[in-house]
Amino acid sequence: MAVEQSDYEEVPGVILTDRNAISDFLKTTKAQDVLNWGRKNSLWFMVNAMGCCGVELLSTGMAHYDTDRFGIIPRNSPRHADVLIISGYVTKKYLPALKKIWDQMPSPKWVIAFGDCAISGGPFYESYSTRQNVDEIFPVDVFVPGCPPRCEALIQAFFELQKKIEAKQDRGTEY
Amino acid sequence: MDANTMIDSLSTQFPDAIYDTKVESKIRIIAKVKPEIVTDVCKYLKENLSFGHLCCEFGVDYPGRNEIEVVYIIGSYDHSVVLTLKAILPRDNPEIESVVPVFWNANWYERETYELFGVKYLNHPDLKPLVLPEDMLGEWPLRKDYKGFPNKAAKNLV
Amino acid sequence: MDEKVGPSEMIVHLGPQHPMMPGPFRLNAKLRGETVVDSEVEMGWIHKGIEKILENKTYLQGITIVDRICYLAALTNEEAYVGCVEKLAGIEVPPRAQYIRVIMEELSRIQSHLLGMGEYASFVGFVSMFMYTIRDREDVMTLMDSVTGARVTHSFLRFGGVKDDLPEGFKDDVKRVFASLRKAVDSYEELYSSDEIYKSRTVGIGVLTAEVAKDIGVSGPPLRATGVAFDIRRDEPYLVYPDLDFKVCVQKAGDVYARVQVRLDEMRESMYIIEQCLDQIPDGPLFPEGTAYGRRTPVMRVPAGEVFHRVEDPRGEMGFYMISDGSDKPYRVKIRGPVYPTLQGLPPLIKGVKVADIVAIAGSMDTCTSEVDR
Repeated sequence: MAVEQSDYEEVPGVILTDRNAISDFLKTTKAQDVLNWGRKNSLWFMVNAMGCCGVELLSTGMAHYDTDRFGIIPRNSPRHADVLIISGYVTKKYLPALKKIWDQMPSPKWVIAFGDCAISGGPFYESYSTRQNVDEIFPVDVFVPGCPPRCEALIQAFFELQKKIEAKQDRGTEY
Repeated sequence: MDANTMIDSLSTQFPDAIYDTKVESKIRIIAKVKPEIVTDVCKYLKENLSFGHLCCEFGVDYPGRNEIEVVYIIGSYDHSVVLTLKAILPRDNPEIESVVPVFWNANWYERETYELFGVKYLNHPDLKPLVLPEDMLGEWPLRKDYKGFPNKAAKNLV
Repeated sequence: MDEKVGPSEMIVHLGPQHPMMPGPFRLNAKLRGETVVDSEVEMGWIHKGIEKILENKTYLQGITIVDRICYLAALTNEEAYVGCVEKLAGIEVPPRAQYIRVIMEELSRIQSHLLGMGEYASFVGFVSMFMYTIRDREDVMTLMDSVTGARVTHSFLRFGGVKDDLPEGFKDDVKRVFASLRKAVDSYEELYSSDEIYKSRTVGIGVLTAEVAKDIGVSGPPLRATGVAFDIRRDEPYLVYPDLDFKVCVQKAGDVYARVQVRLDEMRESMYIIEQCLDQIPDGPLFPEGTAYGRRTPVMRVPAGEVFHRVEDPRGEMGFYMISDGSDKPYRVKIRGPVYPTLQGLPPLIKGVKVADIVAIAGSMDTCTSEVDR
């Protein structure tokens, strides 16, 4: 996510470059629009069923709602995924594992907070075991309220995310 | 064999350890047991009265009486009578014999009661936290005087 | 599990995030080559402390919370909770409300089995089956949606009755959906029994004998697949189940294939039960007449006492132990979930099998992690 400063030695007469330099340059051109167009149309999400909302997550990816139409495909491995959907209560015990999943996902990556539990703690907001305010830990782009939200709401959330990526206002990439 | 004969058989077998017996209905009986002898009682129940199905085991905290009750709910696959067996422990140092040698599935129930109530099970094969992270051990969250319960950390409440 | 690793042994962690489960769960398996020599289940990744929360909510608020114990069987959870309060307070549920409850709970059983079966098929490499079952599950979900107004967590039951009556035309909708669902269930059975790859991965795998299953404390379809006809609906009847005609589905083999077969048969039985209910359902009030139940009451107090009430969940025996001290909040609620002992019995069951079979065996138990953790 963060653009690292290159620490190459300067060699007279030779212009050295690295990946970040190229991507920094691209961000100033129209080429970034083309990249974002590609990104927004292939939002593969991670099937990470953590609670009640996880059931709706499974249904959304399957036959009836068929999100494949929009390039939104469920993936079981974080290494393949672009979108992490926090679909339930994050407990103190599970938070390190969720962070690890987030770290394993390749950039650019986005987060959707799906359901009341991920937003504010939901019905378990005062529990001794859950971790509240997950949005302080992950850069959440879209919040979907509901307990649990319906499958249509998740599809709507993906559309909102696509709009944000197209407008270069998402939190997954630094422009 | 109906509920009354079962409770009579249990009381005659353990006259000193079983007290306060009650037949609530045809399928529910309640008894209290001295904690020292609970494993023997369970063995007798399983072998002689075909109470072979431990439904659950849990703790109840009574700070007013300074007691923790450990409750065993024992059912059966052969008849429909369910026995509620209660052992009363002191709240300061609750210790009871483990029933894992009799009911194999008591293992997790006892681990859970240990981490949530602080009941120590003697001769348990592997007594360690089950559902809580290791660093929360010792807080006993399901006791009535647990301080951290209404967790006020949530910010985005509507 | 012994953490010491011998020569040519290694420990593999499956989870906590693993596609095998609808919910986080971790299995630490010690392998020698490809064979499991020892294993251990780690739970608690989504422990929410529901038992503590219930102690601090009024009885009516509790209905919303118990919905979320197991999101695939919200209505049977509610039935167990509401049944406890009804037993304590001595409330008689009018017949029409009882029939509506049975209809909804059986619908919930059908949708749970459809998801469980389909998901299970995808674990053994049969992903198209998942697509089929989810497609048919959506029809059942729409039926439930039309009555309760929610797809997953319904909050439909009330003390002494149900929230709403069945909508108009519900019987015709059920007829239409069941006609196609019957065909679908038959086609699943045909697909399962004709697919050689599926059969070679399930027949004779993960065999649970009746003695071991009883010792572990298993209930529900995994137990009935071993030949033990144990069903709370028949052995300790609640609601109007004694008036209904249904059989307890039993298989002899006790392997993975038999468990799936039991679920297929149970879906047929559930459809039969619902059709009987729709034929027999009497007219009448939804709440006991002459009482305040069903109307807006500020505070409900329940007489002091203790009660254990159990119902048949899609996964087995669901029980609530409730202690009331006479106030408007329960003193202690213990939730006895059916999957808790089943998941505990996983390590002895997978001892000696190959790694690829772990998923086949664990998945066939139709585990719901949320219910184990609570």
